[in-house]
Amino acid sequence: MSTRVQKWILSGPPLLYLLVFFAVPVGIMVLASFRYAGEFGGLAPLFGTGDPDELTGLTLESYQRFFDDRIYLELFAKSFVYAVVTTVACLACAYPLSLMIARSPKKSRDLLVLLVILPFWSNFLIRVYAWMIILGPQSLFTRAFNGLTGAFGLEPMPLLFSPIAVLIGLVYVHLPFMVLPLYANLEKHDPALLDAAQDLGANAWQRFWRITFPLSLPGVYAGAALVFIPALGIFAIPDLLGGTDSMLIGNLVKQQFLDARDWPFGSVLSIVLTAAAILFAGLAAWFGRQKRT
Amino acid sequence: MKKLLVAFAAVLVSLPAFAQKPAVLHLYNWNNYMSDETIKRFEATCACKVKQTYYSDNDELIAKLQAGGTGYDVMVPTMNAVAALIKMNALLPLDPAKIPNLKNVMPQYLNTEFDPGNKYSAPYAMTITLVGYNDKKMKELGITPDSWATIFDPAILAKLKGKVTVMDSQRELMAAALKYRGYSANDVDEKHLMEAKEVILAAKPYWAAFNASSYIKELTVGNIWLAHGFSNDMFQADLDAKAAKRPFRVLPAMPKEGAVLALDAMVIHKSAPRPDLAHQFIDFMLQGQNAADLTNMIGSGNPNQEAQKFIAPELKQIKAIFPDADTAKKLEMLKDLNPKQRRFANRLWTEIKLK
Repeated sequence: MSTRVQKWILSGPPLLYLLVFFAVPVGIMVLASFRYAGEFGGLAPLFGTGDPDELTGLTLESYQRFFDDRIYLELFAKSFVYAVVTTVACLACAYPLSLMIARSPKKSRDLLVLLVILPFWSNFLIRVYAWMIILGPQSLFTRAFNGLTGAFGLEPMPLLFSPIAVLIGLVYVHLPFMVLPLYANLEKHDPALLDAAQDLGANAWQRFWRITFPLSLPGVYAGAALVFIPALGIFAIPDLLGGTDSMLIGNLVKQQFLDARDWPFGSVLSIVLTAAAILFAGLAAWFGRQKRT
Repeated sequence: MKKLLVAFAAVLVSLPAFAQKPAVLHLYNWNNYMSDETIKRFEATCACKVKQTYYSDNDELIAKLQAGGTGYDVMVPTMNAVAALIKMNALLPLDPAKIPNLKNVMPQYLNTEFDPGNKYSAPYAMTITLVGYNDKKMKELGITPDSWATIFDPAILAKLKGKVTVMDSQRELMAAALKYRGYSANDVDEKHLMEAKEVILAAKPYWAAFNASSYIKELTVGNIWLAHGFSNDMFQADLDAKAAKRPFRVLPAMPKEGAVLALDAMVIHKSAPRPDLAHQFIDFMLQGQNAADLTNMIGSGNPNQEAQKFIAPELKQIKAIFPDADTAKKLEMLKDLNPKQRRFANRLWTEIKLK
């Protein structure tokens, strides 16, 4: 068998999977975005019965609605800020942790990585509900936090149902997705490089900043993409931990499909979201490649 | 070798016996809308299992079915959603011969405009969307929560900042605001809806959250002192607070301006895997004793005549479960909106959520 045929056979199943479960739904979404909403959700028929009040055929109305009103773009901007803050916070927490795991003795590494992915063994929603208890006004954590801020003369503030709670939840849920690619990258660094740098007089900071960090950039980009993209579209965390002002773009999309029975507008929002996600994944991949060559 | 063959044959013969799964009734129900005891009793009668899945809003149920959701036998939508589901052609007509207990339902709840002649639906239970409160905190603050003002008036809310949740449902919250302004819960006049939006926006900064799923817990724990929600959820929160020996109770308060009454009815999905079990379940739930469980155990209002004699007398005193004639007059059932009205209402809702 030629290697070309082998390649096709190996890449066939995932390719088919992506085609059926990503490309086709996106295509349906694009078509849906030009239709009118059906009375009970779904889409209005393309060809009507001739009733003049009936909305049928194709329309740009949903796109118009998106660009007419600034609140939707503002919501995108807000969701973008949440996703960026989440990504930066995850990076700040995950980098030292990954470095520590990568530099620990070989036999304890697997155990440490296992500890990082341990939370995945329990359901995501249960973990978020646990945070609802931790951040609740009567919890030890909240009382300690407000005691501490009170010592500096600050008013006690509620933690649950606030933007802070949403950010804590977002960082908590996405942290392993930053740790794993970073660790995978850092673990492969050749320690001889650092020894050589030390021999040539580089101090610890110079060794990190001029050798370890540049070499780890592909891991940083991969982790950033894995955190940023899901954080941009998530709706469960703002729903559960957020207050009256914590709605993000994911919640609006969900609302269009589940409550508002407006599939076309939900599709428009999803298309913009998907386009943004593809853009960022592309940028991450491009930056990652630039650094490698 | 021969022995092995015989053993193999025996396994083959007995396989169908193993393969026969216990019959399962799939019930698509509201959160917290059926006591475990009732379910167990039905499972004993039908020699089957009941598998429940949950929704928290009628629109969620309709959206799931519209998107092609199947596998449900019995569902318990509110009457306006029943009307929509009938129009969607999503329901199986009931076979009255298999539901003799339908006669137990009080006549005023039968043959409504939502399902004339009850071809598709059997009324099950009622809830009122009202305000549940922490009695100790309200006493301390000197607030009498007898009006929608307790969740909408900034002067009162100033004392409750961050301790109030409202429903995460466009229809329910708009209805409460419309009632507060003296309009009908079904008002579709755009000017009145704009007024309701302003009422909501003025109160929003004082609310902790739009909450559809965890207000029972928050009330029970004492994190939230006042919540806009279903009467039976407030009943549950009170039971939980008692069980946890909290130093307060969670009580329902009927707003004097009136409120939304939801009559929920059992229906059978068109593609129900087990319509036979579904009919059996509906008839079972309409028996006096079983119907009474809904009131005794989860605090629902009860449209079942036969159930009345099984209902605990102390529950009959609670206005939120058994509204008196004056209150009953101010209760309204929500009607389904037409597409144009819904688009307008949804735009308002998005604005409310984002501002």
